[in-house]
Amino acid sequence: MLLKVVKISALVAITACTLNAGSFNTQAEKDRQALVTYMEAKFKDADKNRAFFPYSSDDELKNNFPKNIKEKDFALGSYAFNSRGKSQYDDIKEMPPYEDAIDAGEELYGKKFANGKSFKECFPKTDIAGNYPYFDDKKAAVVTLTAAINDCLVANGEKKWNEKKGKLAKLQAYFSFQSQEAGKKLDIKIDSQAAADAYERGKKEYYSQRGYLKLSCATCHVQGAGQRVRAEYMSPLLGQVTHFPVFRLKWNSLGTLERRMNGCNKDQGENPHKPKSKWMKELLYFMAYMSNGMAVDGPDIRK
Amino acid sequence: MKRLHKILLTAGLGVLTMGSLQADLLQDAAAADVKKVCDVQANGLDKVLATAAMYNAEAVKLGIEFKRLGVTNSNYVKTTTEAAKAKKKEVVLEYKKKGKVKKQKLATDYAAWRACSFAIRALQQKAEAESTWRLAVPGDGYKY
Repeated sequence: MLLKVVKISALVAITACTLNAGSFNTQAEKDRQALVTYMEAKFKDADKNRAFFPYSSDDELKNNFPKNIKEKDFALGSYAFNSRGKSQYDDIKEMPPYEDAIDAGEELYGKKFANGKSFKECFPKTDIAGNYPYFDDKKAAVVTLTAAINDCLVANGEKKWNEKKGKLAKLQAYFSFQSQEAGKKLDIKIDSQAAADAYERGKKEYYSQRGYLKLSCATCHVQGAGQRVRAEYMSPLLGQVTHFPVFRLKWNSLGTLERRMNGCNKDQGENPHKPKSKWMKELLYFMAYMSNGMAVDGPDIRK
Repeated sequence: MKRLHKILLTAGLGVLTMGSLQADLLQDAAAADVKKVCDVQANGLDKVLATAAMYNAEAVKLGIEFKRLGVTNSNYVKTTTEAAKAKKKEVVLEYKKKGKVKKQKLATDYAAWRACSFAIRALQQKAEAESTWRLAVPGDGYKY
């Protein structure tokens, strides 16, 4: 009798835990689905949906925007809806300028620290780019890949690396490439109330207007996605984090997602947030969840 | 034990006071008429700069400080205050761009107006965003 009670109690507890774990991402999943629906509707036929693209010419709307763009296509960023830009992108991809960085990243991965250990102890697997950021319930904080790499260095008595470029970007390029080769997808989890709260704070910041230009991230990358700023098209939130680190022609070097985010902060007219700040990590957590299920395709090239 | 209670009580009161001061500053900023409060001719240079310093410190704390063309608002406040003390008509703002030090010149009155308006606008936006951010979310307030 007692054994039966224990068994039933355990079953109820496990069921309750499973149901709860599933429910923490309910709102995030609704948000993601709504974003996919919006993006697919907006880019179904740019020529017919002209109200979304007030600065584009007839020629662009008829000949440059492909029709019926689907969720997975947005992993290409603005090249998903810019046929002419995409052909230039394809040309550059024939001899990508980041290949040396992947090799350098692999070397850094295996290189011994002063204590004889290496990154292999912190990251036994290398196809991990799609699992970051994640929410660490023990630390009660979001952990980005950038932060995890620097935490590993510090734990082994080494100095932290620059969070925007250089060695850190190269190691990330190696992890991203390995993830891409293994066919990994973004797998961002929200499985506690604290994680759901962090996601909500990140979401609020993404949609809040800031800086002296009073722009939110969404102004450019949700409502503004596909609109032209001078000769460039603004990229969509959907698929925005799948291809980092990127080799930007403007930088003439490889940079992390945090480096790009700092550029966005400046463009908004705000003093940029530090890559290790809670603000930045929670914003990236939200952004990554919006691309959940999309293939990891970094490192990549952007203008 | 009594001493511990006293310390805890003082600390608690301190936290509450700080919290309410922060809320007060945000409310004050939200209600402020920037054109009037930051008018250098009407209020005088010193008063406008004091207003800028007070509100900008709050904006920095909240992580919403403005930055224009490489110059943070803290830089505007600091450099303009120094120029005002030295009775200079012109402010020379220094900032870094791609590792090089650059300079920007502005009339002192105008720099004070900018420092003040940037400080208050940052807080006003924070307050406005509380009720407007959802209007941009697909599946929530954004209609298309």
